Amino acid sequence: MVNISTDVPFRIQRGAFESRIIKSFGWSKGKDFYILAIRTKVRNFSYDYFTLSDPPKLVIDFSQIDEEKSETPDSLKQKEASRGKVPQPSTASPSSRAQTGSSSLQGMKTIVIDPGHGGLEPGARGRFGTLEKNVALEIGLKLRSVIERNFPSRVVLTRDKDLNVSLENRAALANNNKADFFISIHANSSFRKDAHGSETYFLSRDATDEEARKLAFLENNPAEFGEGITGKSEDEIQMILWDMAQSAYLKQSSLLAESIQKELNLLLRTSNRGVKQAPFTVLAGVACPAVLVEVAFISNPREERSLTREGFQINVAQAIYRGLVNYIKLYSQK
Amino acid sequence: MGVKRVALLAVLLTILAILVVIFFRSGALEKIKPPAEAPPPVLEPSPSGPVQMRKIVLFFLSEADTLLHPEEREINASSSIVRQAKQAVEELIKGSDKGYISPFPPETKLRELFLTGDGVAYVDFSEEIVEKHLSGSSAEISTIFSVVNSLAYNFKTIQKVFILIEGQERETLGGHINLSRPFLPLYDLIAN
Repeated sequence: MVNISTDVPFRIQRGAFESRIIKSFGWSKGKDFYILAIRTKVRNFSYDYFTLSDPPKLVIDFSQIDEEKSETPDSLKQKEASRGKVPQPSTASPSSRAQTGSSSLQGMKTIVIDPGHGGLEPGARGRFGTLEKNVALEIGLKLRSVIERNFPSRVVLTRDKDLNVSLENRAALANNNKADFFISIHANSSFRKDAHGSETYFLSRDATDEEARKLAFLENNPAEFGEGITGKSEDEIQMILWDMAQSAYLKQSSLLAESIQKELNLLLRTSNRGVKQAPFTVLAGVACPAVLVEVAFISNPREERSLTREGFQINVAQAIYRGLVNYIKLYSQK
Repeated sequence: MGVKRVALLAVLLTILAILVVIFFRSGALEKIKPPAEAPPPVLEPSPSGPVQMRKIVLFFLSEADTLLHPEEREINASSSIVRQAKQAVEELIKGSDKGYISPFPPETKLRELFLTGDGVAYVDFSEEIVEKHLSGSSAEISTIFSVVNSLAYNFKTIQKVFILIEGQERETLGGHINLSRPFLPLYDLIAN
């Protein structure tokens, strides 16, 4: 496996080629990586790679070994820089979303905000009757305005009023909108009267959860394959892609959770319960970095009162916003 | 000739009568015998011997911190693993003797518990565990891992726990933690 990182926007172009080594090649695109699969005609070959600048180009040289005759290098142009250039339709998949669909290409992030519960499902209830669904919605709406005012992005809410939305549909909405980030907002509750503080969760890794995420990922990242790469190889490449994406999402989710938790601690003066992992149903279905913020305990009368105050809700929205933007600036903007 | 025939018939009848008597008597004997001698095989604890007890550890919440705290219990060890596991869950719902907090709505009932060959315990609770639940993330995690850790810690044959409600699979207890798959124990949640 060859790992190459670049800030240069690029495209992969297929030209006609004649080769004694290469049979065919294809590629598949993840959110921030490509996998290039090359099918060879022979087993005994070696390869070397280097990059060229102006225009930036990645060259992989294949040569056949253990053959008495020639060792002709077989150059294959893979990645060709194309600042601003629109790929020719003939060189890529006819599906337009493969070329222009990704919002990250234009630097605009899609942020999905998920106010927990809603409708007939109120979530936790405080002693003074405060409902988790209402607090979550208030904070979600405030978070949307603060993001929209300050950060060029596309914000989507899973609900913007008191509605029943299934956990499955919340995740599907994020996936259908090709979310770059998913932030679920909740208020906590405990059997312990004294429980208090804020915490941020991301998904704990589990084989069953991964199955759901894998399906969502594969739906949103259709691979483009060259001729000759079908069936079994296609499955293998998709599995590699999925594995890479999954590890990347979890890593990104944990960093995003840390970033948000830090701001919650600074702004809210609630006690720091830290970043945790748990198998949340809503997070399991989302194919992007995803966190769930548990803002204070509605089961604690003192924090219940805070949660209903507009000033507190604005601070929560501000803290989540800062955590998100800090994360994007540090890790996600190229 | 006639006399000979009658004599033969009489002998035959006598033999038949003896056979009949033997048949019925032996049958009657066999029916009476077993209850008199063998102990009833269905009942598990031997009625004569002392009831064997064993110590198990249950995990409850404490007001002191966010962890699960151990509390010992004695249960009847001469019953099957499934019966012992049921006792453990019932004791959890009943609550602590030391002032710890039981993370279950008090109305919750254990409906059924069964164990599959691959080490998954299916624990079936009544509707109240959902209906009366506090349904916060922390509350759900406490309920789930109080059961899962208590069962996996005490019974080697239980590796995972699947939570059912009214005999059915449910998505969550209150909108947070995924119940649609079995849980492995999380011993990080236990206070030492």
